[in-house]
Formats: sequence, structure tokens, C-alpha cells
Amino acid sequence: MTAAPSNHIARITVRTAPEPVVVDELITETADRLFGELCTHEAVQAAEDIGGAPEIWQAFCETGFDLIAVPENAGGSGGTLAEAIEVLRLVGYHSAPIPAAENGILGGWLLAEAGLERPDGLVTVIPPRATEGGWSGGGTCSVSLNGDGTAVLSGEAHRVPWARSAEAIVCVCECNGTSMVVSVPASECTITPLPNMAGEPRDTVNFDGATGQAAPAPTGVEAGALAQRGALSRVALMAGAIEKMCQLTVSYTNERVQFGRPVARFQAVQQHLVWAAQDAALVRMAAEVAAREATRGDAPFEIAAAKLVANQAAARATKACHQAHGAMGMTQEYPLHHFSRRLWSWRKEYGSDAHWSAVLGEMATGVGADGLYPLITSGTAALG
Amino acid sequence: MSDLASKPAALTADNIRAALDGLLERRTDQTRLTSMGAGSDDLDDGRAYLAATVDGGWHVPTWPSAHGGRDASVAENQLIGSVLREYVVPDLYPFAIGLGMVGPALLAHGTAEQQSRWLRPIASGAEIWCQMFSEPEAGSDLANVALSAAQDGEVWRLGGQKTWTSRAMWSKWAICLARTDPEQPKHKGLTMFVIAMDAPGVDVRPLRQMNNDAHFSEVFVDGAVVPDAWRVGDVGEGWRVAMTILSHERAGAGSRGGGDGAKRGSRIPTWIADLAALGALDDQVRRDEAMSIYAADMASRWTTQRAADEARSGGSPGPAGSGAKLRTVSSYKRRAYLANRAAGAAGMLEDGHGYIETVTAPSMSIRGGTDEIQRNILGERVLGLPGEPRLDRDVPWRDSRKGML
Repeated sequence: MTAAPSNHIARITVRTAPEPVVVDELITETADRLFGELCTHEAVQAAEDIGGAPEIWQAFCETGFDLIAVPENAGGSGGTLAEAIEVLRLVGYHSAPIPAAENGILGGWLLAEAGLERPDGLVTVIPPRATEGGWSGGGTCSVSLNGDGTAVLSGEAHRVPWARSAEAIVCVCECNGTSMVVSVPASECTITPLPNMAGEPRDTVNFDGATGQAAPAPTGVEAGALAQRGALSRVALMAGAIEKMCQLTVSYTNERVQFGRPVARFQAVQQHLVWAAQDAALVRMAAEVAAREATRGDAPFEIAAAKLVANQAAARATKACHQAHGAMGMTQEYPLHHFSRRLWSWRKEYGSDAHWSAVLGEMATGVGADGLYPLITSGTAALG
Repeated sequence: MSDLASKPAALTADNIRAALDGLLERRTDQTRLTSMGAGSDDLDDGRAYLAATVDGGWHVPTWPSAHGGRDASVAENQLIGSVLREYVVPDLYPFAIGLGMVGPALLAHGTAEQQSRWLRPIASGAEIWCQMFSEPEAGSDLANVALSAAQDGEVWRLGGQKTWTSRAMWSKWAICLARTDPEQPKHKGLTMFVIAMDAPGVDVRPLRQMNNDAHFSEVFVDGAVVPDAWRVGDVGEGWRVAMTILSHERAGAGSRGGGDGAKRGSRIPTWIADLAALGALDDQVRRDEAMSIYAADMASRWTTQRAADEARSGGSPGPAGSGAKLRTVSSYKRRAYLANRAAGAAGMLEDGHGYIETVTAPSMSIRGGTDEIQRNILGERVLGLPGEPRLDRDVPWRDSRKGML
């Protein structure tokens, strides 16, 4: 018993401090100002009604944020993954109804890594499907390769963000034992528009023999890696949305007077506010740590933990914020629902609570009892 | 007497079934109905059901037989309720204010003339009611209502604004809480009236909810005229009438009609059968949650039954209604989230399993009095705990408002 603690301490290797990951403040300021001006309550509502926000997307593209973290030599805007994640946090904070993640760090990343040509218009991506053993890249569609570098897709893909507005639909899938990145012109596909809970496009795409370009995916660009990036993108969006939802709730409960005082003065209401504030802080921290580690290299532990934390926090925080708002929060004319409905949808994308719980459980049991504490303190680095 | 012939002394499940079989369809395991009107604007199914059952007094058995009931005892009412669960009883959300709240309030506080005019059309589904209670400045703090009623000879003239008035756009009548004496403390200067929704000076503007329903409205009242004969209870007694109505609303949150059910003899509720069909109950964590909800539902049903046994026939449910509402809301929310989680990623879509319940769920712990208000009622009236300090309780309402603004 007495020897055990020293053994544990001996196992923790002291690493040299890694390079700090810094996000340029100008990015935060610019994105915040842009969305603050464009993503009014009315504009977000209108985007839901028509299934898109072309003007907001156009203005977003003019800043170059649409291709942030995509290398300049692949037609991107350059910048780090951490900077792209910061932009996504602000997309969530302002409920900007645009496919920023799909076009940039997901679809844009796949095209750049595989060296495939990027179309002029919007790029979206088929979300990988969680399976028993990991992730299946093409959803429920299948691919066959022609000899000339083209590929033919058949079957359907479900819940493809903004497919109806896309120029190209990109996926990564296994083909004859090789991981391939495939890009298909949307014009070759039949697209059935469907909304998610927040009225954001999550369309069904029927390929039925659509032909596109294909290239082998380099190492580290498999379906599982795309799923991790996708999960990280949702954590960033959720961090922003929870933070804004929390701020709305604090403001409203300080203005709303019942029994002769603002309802925020009642302890029962304060408890809701504190739950929401804790969750906002928790998810923001999880998002920043995961983004930092993913910028440095692989971060499967941090991303799994962050998505699980975000999913659970979303459930608690939406409950607390709606309850504190009372009936006002249930109306379409008040903006709370823009955030709560997005959170309910995003928590279901790129891995449910159960999925990421199982992933973390496997990591924890894999490192064994002696490895658990280093895993908690050092994260992915402790996986070896 | 013919009265005895139409109402045998020994009412049994079998003779209730014999009467209902000619009127209603039996439930099957496939029966799926909406709950609390979420996602539906249907009035016809409920109206047809009420029209079919009113002559036998089957839906409101404890009401007088002259007014659409059958003078049933508490025990008979429970027996009828349990047999009704074997039949397709549509979601009666559009009719719920009249059946569950205004009816009992008129029986407790209304005149014979009022009962004769209004009760039977409620029981038959011919006339829909709403309750004009909440206002922009009077939600949880309901006693702060400002809509005024001023007497003018044989009539009252009403003016002000209500909000969150559910079912207003379907309603022929409203029961309306109004301030008749602003010089009295806030709970004491209130009076209850019935107002015709098609009267000049009544303007209904629906509000759209985040689940896309537009079942709630703002109601603007400008000089609407109400005869004194439509006043319910004495002048200044409005709060007492309102409390009768609200305790029925809370107790009625889980009353008969709508939702899922199982045919007679099946022990598995359809919501559990649906989860099993999705494969969701293969997962230990979800199975655990489903069984936890089921156990809580059973305990809630027996608690409600015990409270009903103890209550006088037709009496006000009192604070027990608050407990019933808390339990019903908790169950609805847990079922909604479980169903939506069980749907996996497809549950994010608007046509996904559990979608309408998920986007409706947050309202359940708000409408009809928030969970916080229900717990206050239980704390103060059941446990006898000290209440929140209320500085405005004994000052004239007019002065308490000055302080607030």
C-alpha cells in the first residue's frame, strides 16, 4: 500500500511544454461582428423558412472564413484548426444558419488531403455512420471505382447538411480495402430536402449511379478521423450556443418581474442560471482543449470526452434555460428556440452519448488501472 | 322510475362495456393518439366522441345527469374511467378547459341558471372554452392581473390584455379573471366572469410556438360587455374561483383521453412497445430508464387514485393536484427524451421518432403553473413550511404596482 503512490508518480513522464496554440484575436472579433450584424432573429427565422441563408453565406465567404484551416496551396485560406474551431464557436453563438464546418474543416479538408479539385460553390460532406466496430464513411451508399480515377455511387445518404445548396458532395469510404475520398457533383444526385429540429437542411441524397472523382485517402484521413473532426465541429457549435442561451437567460430573468421583483432574485430561478452557466463554461473548456490538442496532432481522447460533455450539457442547459424563461421561451417570436433546437439536433450528430461513452470506456479499460490517472491528466498522450 | 332503469344500482365493468361498445371503437395495440394537442389542430374526433357519450353521461360521470353527466359516485367514476381506457378516446385537448376546469368550477360556484346554460354544451363538445388568466405581467404571479372590469348598471365593461390563452381561437366562451377593485390587496380585488369570445371588443391574436403549433393566443379586450348574470361567484371572490379551476387543471394534466394506450389485457404500454420495436430496449441503459419511468408512472397512478378516494365527490383536488402535475410532467419529459434518444441520429429530423414530444416537452413544466410554483404549493400547503416573503400581500394592488414600476 505504501509503495503504490510512488509507483504511480514514476509513471507520469514529464514532457517538455508543447508549443502554445494561439488563436488570432482578429478572427474572433471579425467573425463576432459579422454574425452579430447579419444573424438577427428575423434572418435566422427566415433561413429556416426557406432552408438557407445565401446572403449570410456570401458575406461569410468574402471574409475567407469559409475555407479557414484549408491549406492555401489547396485553394484554402490557411490558418489552424484551432482558428476554424473558434469561428465555429461563433457560428453557434449567433445561430448562423450556414454550413461552415461542412465546407471547410470537413469537406474542404477531405478534398485538400486527397488532392481532389475543389468546385467553385459549396462543398458538403456525408456524415460517417457509427457502426459496431467504428465508423462507416459513406453512410448507407456504396462506391465502385472505374479504371480512370472516376467512381460510381449507388444507394442513399441520409442527413447530409445543406445538400440542396451544394455544388459537390464529398465522402470518404472503403473501396476494395482502400480508403478513398470521393467527390460527386450534386447535380448528378436526387436530393430530398429534410429539416432537422432547428429547420437546418439535413437532406436525403440518392446517388443512383452518380459519377464523381475519386482519389486514395492518405493515412489519417479515414472515416474515423472525419468523424472525430465532425464531432469537434459540433462541440464548437454547441459551446457557442450554450453560452448565448445562458446569456439570454440571465438577461431575461433580470428583466422579468413577478411578485414585485426580477425573477432572477428567486433562488429557484438562480439554480437554473447556475446550472446553465456551469455547462457553458464546461463545454467551452472542453472545446478549447480538444481544439488545441487536435491542432497539435491526434486527439481521440479529448474529442470523445468533449462531445460527451457537450451532449450531456446540452440536455441540462436547454432544460434549465427553458424553465427559467417560462412561457416566453416557448414562442417563435423570442429567440431562445434557435439555440435549444440546434443543440438538440447537434447532440445527435457525429456520435451520441452512448457512442462516445463506449469509446472512452474502451480507452480507459485499455490502459488499465495504472494508466487511468495518466489518461485523465495527460489525455491522448497517455494512450501511447 | 325510469331514472333507475337507465342507471342500474350495480354498475359493472360489463354493463359499461355493453353501453360503450355501441358508441366507441375498442383500442388496439396499434392505437396512437396525440397528447395535449401537440402537433394537431383536430377538433372533429373529440367532438364526435363527446357527442356520442354525452347522453349516457360517460365522459363526465360525476356531473348531474341533467347537464351531461350521470350523477356517478367517486367509485363509479373510477370504474367508468378504467373501462374507458379500453376504448379509443381521442386527445380532448381542445375541450379540456371546459371539461376539466370550467365545468367543475361552475358546479362549485355557478348559479343554477349558469349550470343549465353552459354545462351540457361542454359535455357534448358543442362549445369550446378557454381560460383568460395569464397576462404579460401576471404569469407565475397570477394574482397580479390587471385586466379591469367596471360595473355599469346590469353589465360590466372589461378592458385589458391576456396572454398564453390556449385554445382561444377555437373558443365560444372564456372564463376570465378580472380586477374589480384596485384599492384592495391583489388577491382580494378580483372577480371571475364569463365572456363571449365573439363579443365586440374581444380580439384574439395567435402566438406561434417553437413546436410550430399556434394553440396559444394574446387576447385584447377593449370595452367588451358582460351581463352581471355571467359573473361566477361573488364580487371579490375571483381568486377563490381561480384556485378551484387551477387545482382541477393540475389534477387533470394526466386525465383520460389521447396519448398511447394498450388494448384490454395487454400489460405493456404502447410507448414501451414502440421502444422495443425500435430495438431500443436491447440496450441496458435505456431499458433501465424505461423501467424507471414505468415504475414511477404506476406509483403516480396509484397515488392519484388514493387522493381521489379521499376527496369528496366533485370536490376540489386541492394541493394534491400539484403533486399529480409534477409527476405527470416528469413522466412526459422523460418519455420524450428517451424516445428521441432511442431514434439515434434520425431523431434530429423533424419527422423523427419523438420529435414533437421533444420540442413540446419544455412547455409541460411551465403551462398550468411551473414546477417551481407547484413545489411552493406543496411546501406551504401540504408540509406547512414558511412561505416566500410576500411584501405586496396586504397593500392595495394599485400601490403595489407603483412600487414595482
